Amino acid sequence: MLTVKDLKVAVEDKTILNGINLEVKPGEVHAIMGPNGSGKSTFANVIAGREDYEVESGSVLYKGEDLLEMEVDERALAGIFMAFQYPVEIPGVSTSNFLKSIVNANREARGLEAMNAMQMLKYIREKIELVGMDEKFLRRSLNEGFSGGEKKRSEMLQMALLEPSLAILDETDSGLDIDALRIVSEAVNKLRTQDRSFIIVTHYQRLLNYIEPDFVHVLYKGRIVKSGDKSLALELEDKGYDWIKEEVDAVAV
Amino acid sequence: MSTTVAQDRYAAEKQKFQELFDQTEAANQQSAHPLDEYRQRAMTLAGTLDFPTRRWEEYKYTSVNRILQPDYAIGQAQGMDAADIQAYLPEGMDAHLIVFVNGQLSDSLSQFAELPAGMHVMLLRDAMDSDRFGSIAREHMDRILKDQDDIFVALNAAFSQHSLFLYSEKNVACEKPVYILHLSTNAETPILNSHMNIAVAETGSEFAYIEGQFEKPGATGTYFNNIYNRVTIGANAHIHHYCLQQEGAEGFVINRVDAEQDRDSQFSNYTVDLGGRIVRNNLNTVHKGSNLTTNYYGVYFGKEQQHIDNHTFIDHAVPHCQSNELYKGIVTDSARGVFNGKVMVRKDAQKTNAFQQSSSLVLSNKAEMDSKPQLEIFADDVKCSHGATIGQLDESSVFYLRSRGLNDHQARAMLQHAFIAEVLEYFKHEQVRDFAEMLINQKFEQ
Repeated sequence: MLTVKDLKVAVEDKTILNGINLEVKPGEVHAIMGPNGSGKSTFANVIAGREDYEVESGSVLYKGEDLLEMEVDERALAGIFMAFQYPVEIPGVSTSNFLKSIVNANREARGLEAMNAMQMLKYIREKIELVGMDEKFLRRSLNEGFSGGEKKRSEMLQMALLEPSLAILDETDSGLDIDALRIVSEAVNKLRTQDRSFIIVTHYQRLLNYIEPDFVHVLYKGRIVKSGDKSLALELEDKGYDWIKEEVDAVAV
Repeated sequence: MSTTVAQDRYAAEKQKFQELFDQTEAANQQSAHPLDEYRQRAMTLAGTLDFPTRRWEEYKYTSVNRILQPDYAIGQAQGMDAADIQAYLPEGMDAHLIVFVNGQLSDSLSQFAELPAGMHVMLLRDAMDSDRFGSIAREHMDRILKDQDDIFVALNAAFSQHSLFLYSEKNVACEKPVYILHLSTNAETPILNSHMNIAVAETGSEFAYIEGQFEKPGATGTYFNNIYNRVTIGANAHIHHYCLQQEGAEGFVINRVDAEQDRDSQFSNYTVDLGGRIVRNNLNTVHKGSNLTTNYYGVYFGKEQQHIDNHTFIDHAVPHCQSNELYKGIVTDSARGVFNGKVMVRKDAQKTNAFQQSSSLVLSNKAEMDSKPQLEIFADDVKCSHGATIGQLDESSVFYLRSRGLNDHQARAMLQHAFIAEVLEYFKHEQVRDFAEMLINQKFEQ
């Protein structure tokens, strides 16, 4: 699904990612953890296609294609979905119109017929139930005035509607109360299939109590310094990040 | 010598209008109808007035030179059937339709007969002939020509042969809007289309009328729509006036509305201006009684070489009146937008509540926007606010939409649409709002 090789990325001449290697196979759930400033969000944003990063070297292959050459919308249509940490508020764009547009844009890219109004309504209702959102949000402007939890739910709704091959959740759990967290994780769990992969970027282990990852990677100073299974996450929860920092920094010295 | 030259800047152009008028009159075989006397008077008046130059403060950003150059002729009647106007009658548009093609009234497509009791729409010519409306119609014509200093209004009155008279009787509410559709089609010569509406709402009455000015798709002709509206809103009455413009690449428009409101009345103007080569809208309202409300809601969207100029004026002359003005627009390519919003609050107009907001997006390096709020306040106990913004699209929003699979064009169109959709929410008649939205969407997709 996704093969990242020796990826080095800079922002304004400062190297943030310093050689990332990662292989994500279909159906796998990878958690990427790490202390603040370790490069987690940069990694997620580079995969999603944000342009304010400079790729210095390395490669990213998605389904065999050079991902770094694809525009952000091409990536989306190819099945990559990014749930943002801070979804943008867009006044004047009604949530329902937005959802209709993106569903049909993605259907078109997959060679499917556009849905008519009735089919769309049914489809959106089905997914709205899945993420436990209130239908009244459909009439509001996209993300405008939504609480933190509502924004994250709106992201999950979009993910459910677009049925991506690879979903990246960028700190979707940060700032959520336990109920909202449960809803987000349930949505992810319901969407888990043997073909669909997830990269879950998180600062806290808590989310992984609800979403069971196949792999856990620890990012520090722009590199993956430790990988393991879910028990690694528990270890981090117990001991914090300091022991890893010490381990890595000791080697560096 | 040089001053003489400046004063005669458009002498040749004025002469051409005079000649065109003389030709028209010769062909008309001079009926002795009172309207024709007014038309003669108006032409004489036009001869004494000057076309505006860019030295005039009000025309600083808009030159009429290009409008005056073509050799205009009066449009000839053209056969049209219902299929030809279908695009301008979207589903759900339920209105009393009156159709003009190249300035000529299409009898077969117009529906004068189907109006409800108490609502009258007729040719001004017929109104002048009638016992009932004759004196009102003449009075309005007299007032239009008295002290008139706008040459375009004088020319309008001289050339408009099919002026309309719209009148609602006391306490009558006309549910369906009157829809005056102006279509421009190909013609052999540049066409001058002059049209006047005199709209009068008597005490306690309410009606809506829509002016649609469109070029038929595929047409490429040069034309000049010189439109004038005189709107009189009686006590406690309400007129909704919609102005929808989508002119051709060589379509010119000078449009002027003079509204006068009596006490407790409302006047709402809704303008959707999708441009032409040069479009100049002059929207003026004078307050004659207290406790009234004036609403101006405008949307404009200029592309390519289009030039769109909205000049608005609200004259708060009496106490306890309100005005709300919201204009939003987009200019891109080499288009140019102008907004000039003048609000006068005279010394006696205490407790005035005047709000004005003008926002625009300028989306290319070559596009230009000139925005000028102009508040002149002489009363001391008033609430007046204004804001003017000129900006660009928010790139993080563009990225967000693209990250969901919309391409760059779709993402920008969606955001631009959202930007001006706010104004459409104020449109009272849902069918017009939907129609306006459709027209705007079409333009985004071009």
